Amino acid sequence: MDRKIGIFKERFSNSAARLSAFLRSKNPRRVGVGAAASANNTSRTRDDGAFQTGPSTANPAPPPPIRRAARVIDEDDYGDEDDEEEDIPAPPAPLPQVQRAARVIDEDDYGDEEEEEGDKADGAGGQSSGQEQAQVAASDAQGRMEIDNAAPEASKDSAEDAQAAEEAAKKEFNNYFYTLENDRAAWLEQQKLDAMEAQIEADTSGQAAPGSTNHMAGPPLETLSTTNLGATSLVMKNLFRRIDERRAEIKATDAEIRNIIRDVRKGRSKWASDDKVNQEELYEAAEQVLNSLKAETEYAGPFLQKVNKREAPDYYSVIKHPMDIGSMFKKLRGQTYKSKREFVDDLNLIWANCLKYNADPNHFLRKKALYMRKRSEELLQHVPDVVIMDRATFEAEERRKAKLEIGLEGDEESEEEEPLMASRGRKAPKKGNSVRKAPPIVNEGTPEAEARPPGGSTIPPSTSLRNEFLRPDSEAPADVSTNGFATASPGALTPLAPLGAPGSAAPGSQADASEAEGNAYDNAGAQGEEIDFEDPELKVWKLVTKKGRARVAGWRHQLFRGDKLNPDAPALLRRKAGMRRWLRHQKTLVGEGSQEADVQVDDMDGVQTIPSETIAEGMEEEEEGYLPDYYDTMSALPDLPKALDWVEDTDGNVITHCEETLRLAPKGQFIAPSGNLSSKMAGNMHAMQETRKICAKIGIVKQMQLQSQMYQNQFQKYNPLPLHEQDIEPTVVSDEGPIIAPVVCKAALQRTVAEIFYHSGYEEFQPSALDSATDLASNFFERLTRGLNFYREQPKTRDKQASTAAGRPVYQSKFTKEEAILHALHSSGVDIGGLEAYVKEDIERLGSKLGVMHKRMKDHLAELIRPALGDNAGADGVGAFDDGSDQFVGGDYAEELGVDFFGFKELGLDKEFGLRSLSVPLHLLQNRMHSAYQSQNPGAVTTTGAVMEDLPPLDPITAHNLQSEIGLVHPFFSQKLQNGDEPLVEDEELPVKQRFPKPRLPPTGKITSPRKRPIREQQQLAKKKRKLEEATTEGGLGSAEKSQSGPLEKKLRLEMPAEKEVEKEPEKDDAMGVISPPDSL
Amino acid sequence: MSSDGFTPKYRTEIQQMMFVSGETGEAAVETTTLIEEIVRNQVHHMLKESTDLANRRGNRAIATTDLMYLIRHDRAKLSRLRHFLQWKDVRKNVKDSSDDKGAGDAGVDLAGGDEALGAGLGAGPDATVDMKKNKKNRVELPWDVASYFSEQVPPRDDEEDEEEEEMNFATLQRLKLADERTKNMSKEDYMHWSECRQASFTFRKGKRFREWAGFGVITDSKPNDDIIDILGFLTFEIVQTLTEEALKVKVEEDMAKKQSGIGKEQPGHKRKREPGLFDLPEEEREPVSKAHVQEAFRRTQQLSLRSKALGLRMHIIKQPLKLVSLRQDRATLLHVLT
Repeated sequence: MDRKIGIFKERFSNSAARLSAFLRSKNPRRVGVGAAASANNTSRTRDDGAFQTGPSTANPAPPPPIRRAARVIDEDDYGDEDDEEEDIPAPPAPLPQVQRAARVIDEDDYGDEEEEEGDKADGAGGQSSGQEQAQVAASDAQGRMEIDNAAPEASKDSAEDAQAAEEAAKKEFNNYFYTLENDRAAWLEQQKLDAMEAQIEADTSGQAAPGSTNHMAGPPLETLSTTNLGATSLVMKNLFRRIDERRAEIKATDAEIRNIIRDVRKGRSKWASDDKVNQEELYEAAEQVLNSLKAETEYAGPFLQKVNKREAPDYYSVIKHPMDIGSMFKKLRGQTYKSKREFVDDLNLIWANCLKYNADPNHFLRKKALYMRKRSEELLQHVPDVVIMDRATFEAEERRKAKLEIGLEGDEESEEEEPLMASRGRKAPKKGNSVRKAPPIVNEGTPEAEARPPGGSTIPPSTSLRNEFLRPDSEAPADVSTNGFATASPGALTPLAPLGAPGSAAPGSQADASEAEGNAYDNAGAQGEEIDFEDPELKVWKLVTKKGRARVAGWRHQLFRGDKLNPDAPALLRRKAGMRRWLRHQKTLVGEGSQEADVQVDDMDGVQTIPSETIAEGMEEEEEGYLPDYYDTMSALPDLPKALDWVEDTDGNVITHCEETLRLAPKGQFIAPSGNLSSKMAGNMHAMQETRKICAKIGIVKQMQLQSQMYQNQFQKYNPLPLHEQDIEPTVVSDEGPIIAPVVCKAALQRTVAEIFYHSGYEEFQPSALDSATDLASNFFERLTRGLNFYREQPKTRDKQASTAAGRPVYQSKFTKEEAILHALHSSGVDIGGLEAYVKEDIERLGSKLGVMHKRMKDHLAELIRPALGDNAGADGVGAFDDGSDQFVGGDYAEELGVDFFGFKELGLDKEFGLRSLSVPLHLLQNRMHSAYQSQNPGAVTTTGAVMEDLPPLDPITAHNLQSEIGLVHPFFSQKLQNGDEPLVEDEELPVKQRFPKPRLPPTGKITSPRKRPIREQQQLAKKKRKLEEATTEGGLGSAEKSQSGPLEKKLRLEMPAEKEVEKEPEKDDAMGVISPPDSL
Repeated sequence: MSSDGFTPKYRTEIQQMMFVSGETGEAAVETTTLIEEIVRNQVHHMLKESTDLANRRGNRAIATTDLMYLIRHDRAKLSRLRHFLQWKDVRKNVKDSSDDKGAGDAGVDLAGGDEALGAGLGAGPDATVDMKKNKKNRVELPWDVASYFSEQVPPRDDEEDEEEEEMNFATLQRLKLADERTKNMSKEDYMHWSECRQASFTFRKGKRFREWAGFGVITDSKPNDDIIDILGFLTFEIVQTLTEEALKVKVEEDMAKKQSGIGKEQPGHKRKREPGLFDLPEEEREPVSKAHVQEAFRRTQQLSLRSKALGLRMHIIKQPLKLVSLRQDRATLLHVLT
């Protein structure tokens, strides 16, 4: 088997190469010839074998010429099997109908639409072979041969061509992805075609009726065999003979039997006629040509129907003899064509009309017409060049010839045996394939080939049997002169034929065509125009899939009719047939992967071995055109990744493969990429925060100066957290690409917008503002992205220079990436200059402005804290700046250094107030605050750099310890102590209500409002003043006492000037009371 | 802006301004009337907008910053305006302190809105140069960096004004243009030209302007002096912009005519040639017509791509202030910055 595989591979590659050559070739015959010549070392093909196993009555006929090309694949690929198989004899017994049906199904798999009635002998041969695979291959090939049996060979040829091309193309389809843009066009065209056919049907129904009754109204028959039932195959002949033999035993009328047989014979051509010789061949071929032309959907459109007078008002004044494909169909049905020439003339008239009417060389229809003409020339080669004539005259002619030329040798026995064939004038089953197939070296089994003169000459065949086969080239007596054109001449194709050199046929038909159109237009001029031929592959693809595409597009169209969704339209459903086809296809692919066998073999295998498939497959629905899976989504399943396979372990637990695909999403997708811009913005924002801290301090200081009452927690230290972009938490994803999470994305965008807000000075903002700005931004970016996409996806253009340099077409995008970005930006009203200006102006310059502002804020704070250092920095101030101006500017210097810049410690104020954290010049604060703080947090005094301990509180003066005081104050204290034993209370320690009101004086020195004091209070004040004066004088005397009452004294000293001023100018509001600077103490 | 019942009051001024802006011919009455209507419309709009702003702030009377806010995108213009106000302040102080010295001269300069700015740096009077260091109040914009913070810092003198660069550039451009225009003038012409530069809607016509601009109807009837001056400056700018744009339109039209041959309707008449040595005196040229001004106005009113892209098309049908506040050409801006 290994050897076989090796051989097979070699052959496969050979045939693939030949196939591609074949597809490229305009004249497939040449390749066919070449292929045949170089093909096989096996002298006898399976066809020979099949021929030999055929019934003896079979008349070898010259094989259809071009089928060769079609079968190249089979022969090359299966040569070995064929050889093995060919010796198996097939009994020429008729087979039951069931078997035939099965065969038909098999063949359906290959899309043989033109299948004629099966050849039972061949079928039997296939059946009897033991090896399944071989049998399938054989039956395949045989089935194809049978196709040719009944129909005219020439028309078959094109079908075979197309089929071969299809087969080849189908293999290629998997390598390409075709876009779906043509499907709607295909559908529309299909509709058009249907409409045309319907119209033709309607038009010709009147004529068609008599035509169809034609064969019914045959002459009265003596035997069934003579009935014109079109039984062309051997099987049928056998059947008829047997029926004839036992006619007496059958209890049925002739008519009944005829009906039965007619029912059986579905493939009988509608053109068949008893009276007309050659009609079937000609019309069959002609119809095929028309159908093929019609199927050239992209080009045939304008020619399908008559030119509408509304579209081209002057058309009928220019064109005297209008013609179109539809009219030709009508004429065909009306059976008005008498010869190929007439048909060809009509066809050429169409193109000529078009070229004549549309004289402008650039007219788009011209291209179509030229293409169609070319195509029709190709197709017309397969139309037999015959003339229809009455049977009577024809037979008379034949006999006359036969007698004339062969005379005595004619054996009439076969004619007697086959009345059907003879009477019908139809081509017998082509058992003569061997003639064509046989390479010149080997003539075994092809005796007729020797008898046959080379060159497809007009000399009639030597046997009378041959006379029965109406070879279009040699036997058509009326048209001998046209033989030189060799349209579909089999003789010319055989390697034996010297005249059959490649290319001989093409010029012939060319001449034919040009002759036919003759006067209509300038041939040479038209030839000069270029016809854009498509990629042959694409063409085949379009052709093959057209029906399928049209169907699918039609379904879809129903859903979207009128450009809206139609809820009432039938849903697209999966169909069993489609799914089965897909399954089969899948298996094929799998098989292909596992064993490197040929696709076709696998195909067969698939058909045979898939258990789920029923025999009914292919019968339930019409065989659909080949459509790739991705196209017909209703009959396919998407590929599932391996990881989703349902695999169970031994315990029946499902093994999940998800671990293999899961991965962590890359970090940083939802934060701004670290770049120059973002770092600058972050820096700006940080600077703002720092400045705001200073602002908060300034605010506190100012507030303290203004406010009379303080609360413990009134001033919160402003200490914002540094801004930090937070990424999403580690996330597990299972596929490539970005994370699709709209909410997260929106949040990220919101954060960015918020940053920009902050950057432009807003510390806080309302959520609604943020939302709307975010929406605007997302909208804007959506447009921007759409624009970018638009420019990026512009169709590529061909780069001529690079193409010529590289020797192949080089395509380049219309826009480079940069251009696309610039275009998109421009359409959004943004340009590079603007962006750069934004960066320079709104970010960089803002940064420098912020720096300046920060500096100024610090200075301002410093001034507020220590006014002395502001405007008139004296010697002291300068010194303070000199040794640590940085820290001084920094604001928090006092805490950091522990250095007493302001002399707090000197004053002892820090201990009293415990306000270290504020770094505020406390001498600016009001004494009321002192007391408030003192009373509220008396124990809060903890200073690091305390040099001196607090003095113990003085004992209150009582009557008992009065004596310890100096004598001078004795009278005063004793006077005070008169009212009881209670110790004297210091003013400070009196209950709040009994205290003397203290004058309020803000640090600014401004007395905001004159205070009205009751007289009593004034008296008290006067008293107190006196007392204080005494105290000071005392203090001057007794140093010990002075030191003891140090804090009190200072406080009093602070109050004193204000009080004096109040007394001096009690009414004046704006008296400029400047608080005494600390150094004045 | 209904043209019926509208009586033009500033024909001479507008003609002078157009002359300064490069229109050498004598514009027709209807042209100046159209320009005046456009200007008045713009002034109305500005007043309305700034009144809205003031109301939002809680004030009834508009402040200078309201007007400046309207042109905030036109940095150069804004900068010039600030500069102008600054110098106005300086001059006022000078006037106050020393009435005897150079008072009249300061007044003239001040009134000729743009002119004062244009000459302010280059050829400012000696008196003011002396006073420059004396007192120079910076005009703070409420949306500037200082507004970011809760506390204000006291003004200082030692700050360098960064905006000045832009202003300088714009000023230089203006001066250069003016130089171009006056290059070939005779002495008398130049005298005339420099007189024309002092044309203003507002200077010494305060009452007329107030009536014309609709003070008391649209907004408070007692506007600040500064506001009137700013409006005078802006109106001059509008006329200048319109005239320059209209001249461009005219040039394009002439080109098109020349190419299509429409302009040769008078075969007997001497054909217009390229400007050359023996060119006709300027008076012979045709002044811009009404249609040119209309086209110029249309061009300046076009919606920018940016607002389209932002999806603002639906919401903002027109932006009447585009004429006043031209978003600065970014290329120019970049040139300034680099």
